[in-house]
Amino acid sequence: MQAEIIDHVKFGILSPEQIRRLSVAKLTVPDTYNEDGYPIDGGLLDQRLGVIDPGLICKSCGARAKVCPGHFGHIDLIRPVVHSEFSKIVYLLLQSTCQQCHRILLNEEQVGEVKGKIRTLVETEINENGVGTEGERMDERDTLFKKLRNIKKCPYCEAVQQKVKFESPTYFYFGEIRLKPDEIRDMLTKITNDDLRVIGIDPLTSRPEWLILSALLVPPVNVRPSITLESGERSEDDLTHKLVDIMRINQRLEQNINAGAPQIIIDDLWELLQYNVTTYFNNETPGIPPARHRSGRALKTLAQRLKGKEGRFRYNLSGKRVNYSARTVISVDPYINIDEVGVPFEIASRLTIPFYVTAWNLEKAKELSERKEYPMVMGVTSRDGKRKRITDINREEVIKAIQVGDILERQVANGDIALFNRQPSLHRPSIMMHKVKVLPSRTFRLNYCTTHPYNADFDGDEMNLHIPQTLEAQAEAEYLMSVKDQIFSPRNGEAIITNNEDGITGMYLLTQDDTKLDKEEASYLLSLADVFELPDKSSAGKYSGKDVFSMLLPKGLDFEQKTKRGVVRIKNGKLLEGVLSKATYGTGSKLLAKISVDFGNDVLKDFISRSGRVAYAYSTTHGITVGIREYLITPKIEEARNKILKDTFAKVQELIVQYKNKKLDALIGHTLKESLEMLIIAELDKARISAGEQLVTHTTGDNHAITMVNAGSRGSILNLVQMSMLLGQQATSSGGRIKRGYMTNRVLPHIVPGDISPVAKGFVTSSYYMGFEPIDMYMHAIGSRTSVVYKAMLTAKSGYLQRRLINALQDYQVEKDFTVRDVHGNIVQTSYGGDSLDPTKLDMAEVAAKE
Amino acid sequence: MARKNNFLVTPGEPVGVIAAQSIGEPGTQMVLRSFHYAGVASSIATSGLPRLVEIVDTRKKPATPFAYVYLKGKAAKDFETAEQIAKKINEVRVSDIARRVIENFSKGTITIKMDVQRLQANELTARGVGSKIEKLTKTESRANENAILINTHTKNAKQIRTMAVQIGKMTINGIEGAGRAVVQEDKKSGEFFIQTNNSSLSEIMQVEGVDTSRVYTNDIFEMYRIFGVEAARNTISRELSTTLREQGIAVDPRHLDILADAMTSNGAIKNVGRRGLSGEKESIFARAAYEETVKHLINAAAFGERDDMKGVTENVLIGKQIMLGTGTITLAIKKEDLAKISGKEKKK
Repeated sequence: MQAEIIDHVKFGILSPEQIRRLSVAKLTVPDTYNEDGYPIDGGLLDQRLGVIDPGLICKSCGARAKVCPGHFGHIDLIRPVVHSEFSKIVYLLLQSTCQQCHRILLNEEQVGEVKGKIRTLVETEINENGVGTEGERMDERDTLFKKLRNIKKCPYCEAVQQKVKFESPTYFYFGEIRLKPDEIRDMLTKITNDDLRVIGIDPLTSRPEWLILSALLVPPVNVRPSITLESGERSEDDLTHKLVDIMRINQRLEQNINAGAPQIIIDDLWELLQYNVTTYFNNETPGIPPARHRSGRALKTLAQRLKGKEGRFRYNLSGKRVNYSARTVISVDPYINIDEVGVPFEIASRLTIPFYVTAWNLEKAKELSERKEYPMVMGVTSRDGKRKRITDINREEVIKAIQVGDILERQVANGDIALFNRQPSLHRPSIMMHKVKVLPSRTFRLNYCTTHPYNADFDGDEMNLHIPQTLEAQAEAEYLMSVKDQIFSPRNGEAIITNNEDGITGMYLLTQDDTKLDKEEASYLLSLADVFELPDKSSAGKYSGKDVFSMLLPKGLDFEQKTKRGVVRIKNGKLLEGVLSKATYGTGSKLLAKISVDFGNDVLKDFISRSGRVAYAYSTTHGITVGIREYLITPKIEEARNKILKDTFAKVQELIVQYKNKKLDALIGHTLKESLEMLIIAELDKARISAGEQLVTHTTGDNHAITMVNAGSRGSILNLVQMSMLLGQQATSSGGRIKRGYMTNRVLPHIVPGDISPVAKGFVTSSYYMGFEPIDMYMHAIGSRTSVVYKAMLTAKSGYLQRRLINALQDYQVEKDFTVRDVHGNIVQTSYGGDSLDPTKLDMAEVAAKE
Repeated sequence: MARKNNFLVTPGEPVGVIAAQSIGEPGTQMVLRSFHYAGVASSIATSGLPRLVEIVDTRKKPATPFAYVYLKGKAAKDFETAEQIAKKINEVRVSDIARRVIENFSKGTITIKMDVQRLQANELTARGVGSKIEKLTKTESRANENAILINTHTKNAKQIRTMAVQIGKMTINGIEGAGRAVVQEDKKSGEFFIQTNNSSLSEIMQVEGVDTSRVYTNDIFEMYRIFGVEAARNTISRELSTTLREQGIAVDPRHLDILADAMTSNGAIKNVGRRGLSGEKESIFARAAYEETVKHLINAAAFGERDDMKGVTENVLIGKQIMLGTGTITLAIKKEDLAKISGKEKKK
C-alpha cells in the first residue's frame, strides 16, 4: 500500500521567490465572501486556493472538495517584516557578522579551526568538571555564538563593532539606532555562503535574508475551513481572521505610502503589520499582547496548532484514530478461556475482518458471500480498489463478480484475532491478542485471570477491542502478543496472568488434606475442566481434593516448592503433598513457570483456564463469603484489645516520662526528641502487630476472612485488626505521626496543647466495627485525605516519569549480535544485561536451572 | 534441560521501551506509607517516586545524601576503633557545641557559651575551639572552661551579626560537609562501618583506616567525580534498585542497567528529559513531538537541518513501519518459487 516512502526530511526556509512560485493566487482583497455569499476573487477564500463546500469545483485543479488537496496563495507585504519566531537567529547572525563588511567575525585561522571542530563534533561538550548536564552543557554551535558575540573588531575590515541590542520579539538596535527590517535584510543578504556554512547554516535551503518576510504564504482553505452555523451564519477560522487583519493593515499601509503620508504614520502602520504577522505565527509570543477574537478569546494561530498535548504533533501525529475498533464495559466470565474475549453480538456483527480471495479459496469466498445471516460478508473491495456494500438486492451480481484478488469484508466471528486493551497502557501486557468469542449481551467478557495485566476491575471499566486487518498484522498479533505469551511479566519474569481472589481460595480449599469429595461433586468439578474420568478413589469411597486437582496437571510434571506453610510436592502430575496457595498458584508462581518450561505455553494457558474454573466452582459449592460475623468482637477479643491498649499506653507514657526526666537514651545518630518519636512509633506499631496475633489466636471456628488471608487471596491480618480491634496510627505524607493542626501545638481542639500521647497524635483506638469517637473520626479523616491527595499527585508525577522514560529509551533494541543499540547504530550495551538473557523468561530459567 | 539458548532475548526486542515501562509502570503502585522504624539509624532518606524522579533527573545533589564508609583491618571488627574513625569524620560545627551565642553590639564582642557535655563528648576544649575560631576568622579571643569571648574589632551591628552566624556554621572538628557520622553494623557480614548523612567522599577517603575500595555514596555526581563514569553508572543502577526494592517492587536489574547505560553512554551523565537524552536526539521530529515543538522546528529550518527518519517517533508520525523488532526484517523469496506460485495462479 505504501506508494512512496519518505527517506528523509530536509528543513529549510522558503524564499520570497519560492513563495510566489508556490502560490496559485496573489491575494489582494482583505475579505472573505461577497454579499451573495460567494468567495471573493483575490479574497482569503479565493476558489483557486481549493474548495471545502461540497459541489463546488476548485479553480486550480478542477477537483471537488475532499479530492482537491488545496493550494497555497500569497500576500505581497508592502513593507518587509521580521519573522518573529526566527528573530533570535537574526540576532545571533547580526552579532556574529561585521557591521561594515558583513563577514563572519573570525579570521581565516579561526574559521579553519571551527570547520575542523564541526567535522569531529562530539554531541556534547564536557566542562572542566567533566560533567556536562542540564544548563551547563551546550552545543558546539552555542559556544561558537557565545564567542562571536564578544568580538569587538572585525578581523577583515577592522571596523569596530557596535553593541547589537535585541528587544523581544522583533526590534533590533545597533547602539541606540533601531534597525528597520529592510535594513536587516540587506545586511543578511551580504553574508557569504561560505561564512554561513562555518556557522552551520545550509545556505542552499536557509539563506538568512529569507527570515525577513516580503511575501507571506497563505495556507489553502482546507487548512482553515470556515464553518456554517445552524443560523446560516458563517464563522471563519482563527487563521483566516488573522490573515484578514494582516491584509487590511497591508492595504492601509500601501494607501498611506502612496498618498505620501508622514513617516510617523507609515512607521506606526508598519509596526502594526509586524504585530499582526508576529501573532499570525505565534499568538503566545512573549512580550506582546495576544490577538483576540471578538469574544475576548485569544486566537489559536500557527504555533498553537502544533504545540503541546492537544497540538498537531502529540494529538494527531503521535496518536492516531483507528477504524475496526470497539469499546464497551467489561464484565467477568470464568467460563471463557484466558486467551478469549467475549464480544457482544452487536459488536461482532458490525466489525469486519478482511477475507482475501485467492485462487485456492475462491469457492469458499463465494459460499461465504451467499450467507444471509451472521457471519456474513458485508462488502467487497475489488482488486481495482472499488468498495461495494452487499445488500439483499445486489448480492447475486456481486457474488458473480468476485474474483481472485478481491477482498471480502466478513463479520467478525469466533476464533478471529483481536487486540484487547485497557488504558492507561502502562506496559506491554496492557494490550494483548485474544481470540474472539461471540456472546449475547452487551459487555466485553474476560477471564478473571487476565484482569491483573490490564489492571482492570468490573466496577464500570471500559476496554477497547481492535481487529487487525492485514495478514501481517494478524500474524504479528498471534505470535507476539497473544495472552499465552504474556503470562510472564517482562518486568521480572514473574507469572502475572494467574488465578486470583476466589480462584486461589477455591484451590486452597480444594487441596486441603481433609478435602473429600463424593462422586457427584468430583465429576461436576472435573467436567468443568473437560476431564471426563475420575481419579482413583481414596478411603471411604470418596475422592480426595488433591487427587481431583491432580487430574488437571499435565502428566509427567515434577515440581517441588517450599513455602511458609510447608512443602508443595508434585510428582508425575500428581499432587502428593501440600496445599496450593498464592505462593504456589498466584502471582509469581513457580509452578506455572515449571509447566511453561516443560510443556509450553499452550499447555500452561489451558491449565490456568481449566484449573481456574474448577477453583471457582469449588469455592462456590464450598461456600466462601464474609459478613459481619467475620468481624464480631467476642469478649475475649475485647479483653485482649483492652489489654494491648493499656500496656501500650503505659509503655508510651513511661517513655515520655523518661524523656522528660532526661533518662531516655538517644538512638545512635539521632537527637533525643527524634528518638522519643521513633520509639513511640515503634511501640504503637508493636501494638498493632500483637493485636493481629491476639486476633488470630482468639478467633474460633471457621472464619472465612482468615481463610482468605491464609490462602493469600485477599486481605491481611491488618485489615482484620482494623475492622474488629483498633485502627492504629494514622499517617501523614511525611511518614510520621500527625503533628500539624492548631498553632497551640495540637492537632485538634480537643487535645491539651503539647500532648504527645498516642491519641493526641492520631492513634485511633476504635475499630471500624465499634465506630469512632469524634477525635478518632477527625484523625481518620486526616489520614484519608492525606492519602487521597498524595495518590492524585503520585499518578500525575508517575505518568510524566513514564512518558519521559519511554521517550528517552524508545529507540533501543537488541541486535542480532545481542548488542543493544539505538536506531542510528550507537551501542549502549555490548551484551544485553551482560548475559543476553530475556528477563521475561527469568523465572522459567530459574526452575529449569534446578534440574 | 536447562539450555541457556532457550532463555536468550530475541534479537529485535525493543528492550528500551520494555525497560522504561518496567520502571514506569510500578510508579503508580508506590506508597507513602513507609514508617521508618526505630533503631535503624538512617535519617529518613528520600524514597519512592520522589527519589526515582531525582535519580532520573540527575539532580546535582540528592535531597538526602549519605555515604557508607567501610573500614580496613581491625576497625571493621572493633566498635571502639570504628568509633574513633567516625569521630574524625563526624562534622562538628560551633553551633553543635554551643549553648548560647551572645552578641554585644556596643562592645563589639561575641560570647559563646559552650555546652560542656557536648564538648567532652567530642573531646574538645573551649580553648581549643577558641583558637580554631581565631585562626579561621582572624580575630582575637579569650576562653575559659565553658565560654569563648571573641573581639570582633568592629562596632558595626551588621558585621557582628554576620560574623556570629558565620562562626556558628564553622566546622571545628571532623570533615567539612561530611555531616553526622555514625557507626553501624553490617547485618550480613557483622562488620562495622560508618554512615554519614552527607557526603564529602574525597575528604573522607583521606582519613586513615578507611577502606577506600569500599566507600559508597548515593550522590551520583560525587561518585562520578571521584571514580568516573562506570562508577556513576553503577551508582545509578544501584540507587534505582534500592529505591524500587524499598517499595517492594521487583524489577529485573537488566531494565535498570539499560537506563543507567543510556544515561552514561557517552561518558557524561545525561538526564532523562528535554535537556538530556530526549533533547539530544538526532531526529528533529522526535524532539518536536516530545517537548518544545516550535523551538525545534524553527531551529531546524533556520539551519537547514535534515531528519533521516530512522527513529520510532518519526516513523509513527508519517505512518511508516518502525525499524525495531519485526520492522527490521524483510521477507525474501526465490525467483523460481515466485514463478511457481504465480504460475499456479494463472493456470486456475
